[in-house]
Amino acid sequence: MNEKYEQLIADYLSGSLDAEGRNKVEELIASGEIDFMEFRELEKMHENLGSIPIPKPGKEMSDRFYAMLEEEKLDQKDNWVEFVSKKFKVLIAELTIPRLAYTVVLLVAGGFIGSQINGSQSDIEQLSQEMQTMKEMMMVNMLEGASAADRLKAVNISSELPRADSEAIHALLFTLNNDASVNVRVQTIEALKRWGDNEVVREGLVRSIAKQESPIVIIELADAMIELELKNGAQEFEELLRERELDYTVQQKLQSSIAALL
Amino acid sequence: MDSTSDKALMMKVKKGDLDKLGLLFERYNRPLFSFFYRMCKDHGTSEDLVQSVFERMLKYRESYTGSGTFTTWMFSIARNAHIDHYRKVKRSAVPVEIDEERLEVEEDAPFVIDQKEQKKNVLEMALERLDEEKREIVILSRYEGLKYKEIADILNTTEGAIKVKMFRAMKDLKNLVTTLSEECSYE
Repeated sequence: MNEKYEQLIADYLSGSLDAEGRNKVEELIASGEIDFMEFRELEKMHENLGSIPIPKPGKEMSDRFYAMLEEEKLDQKDNWVEFVSKKFKVLIAELTIPRLAYTVVLLVAGGFIGSQINGSQSDIEQLSQEMQTMKEMMMVNMLEGASAADRLKAVNISSELPRADSEAIHALLFTLNNDASVNVRVQTIEALKRWGDNEVVREGLVRSIAKQESPIVIIELADAMIELELKNGAQEFEELLRERELDYTVQQKLQSSIAALL
Repeated sequence: MDSTSDKALMMKVKKGDLDKLGLLFERYNRPLFSFFYRMCKDHGTSEDLVQSVFERMLKYRESYTGSGTFTTWMFSIARNAHIDHYRKVKRSAVPVEIDEERLEVEEDAPFVIDQKEQKKNVLEMALERLDEEKREIVILSRYEGLKYKEIADILNTTEGAIKVKMFRAMKDLKNLVTTLSEECSYE
């Protein structure tokens, strides 16, 4: 049989033929180019395949999976502690004289300002402020790194910052709009969402829509717009739909997001 | 891609939210088990291979890019796990033998039910006897509901080639059923 007819029958069996395709099959059967008896037998066989039973997996399979997952989570936790301490050591080792001086100045200034502004502020609060400054510096430095994995980790560090800081926000927004890695950009949106009540973050997220090319990032932004109730996002999405030839799934997602935002 | 789509969940696993793999396990452990069971007909091996697929998903999570459908990625891993397993035990070339007992009709059972059961058994054995590559295509298409394009991506070939192989697999299956039914009727 002609390979085209074979493909047509395969499509028919899988149920993926449209009305036009089904008509074509009927025509070929009527003209005798496809043997009706053989076609019926194949159709029946395909249908009968559904009657072959399959046993269920045992509960042990599920238990084994969850035990493996728990073990992996423990490993991940250990690795994270190891990673942070290693990165910290690397950062300290890599500190150049001006950076070191800057760090010291920041720490001293932080301590001095802290003591001047609020004499009653406890030592713990001061320490916490200094830690935040250190983390921000570490994050900003790592965001400029060459490796996507390092930049991803830098974005994750931002989740440890208790308060939104303008330098950290600008660094993250810059990363969102310019980083070459889709994963880093997606993770950056997640990080920025935590500071969703900050006006700079809200405006930055909306402005970023027009700058994104990746469907994954656009979809992640659509979810963020809904989560943060950023109605201005709807206009940006409408423009995207007008101006670009987007993937069908992305189009659908944007249309539903626009409906939710308006 | 909504936040609960397979891709979104796997991306979260990639980012370190390992609990999301539990959701993917709940969604796909049965289809994977079914795939392996139909391929190897061994309950224990199928369970081991499902475990192996999820271990590999964790191990290679960093390499997940989200391109293509999640099931294509998952069944590619499943297929490799299956191939690796049979390479190890060197059983891939063992021919499937006819299970004579399954073809026998129990004397005190009603005839109509027996005939139906027998037909089912014959079809099941015919599927087992089918050439492995064609059997894999039939299983992925008919039982796992994958599109021909997805199967083509997994097997690294074209959609057209998969359609032709699927048609020929069904034809071979029909011939095997005829042969086995004849063998059965001589007993």
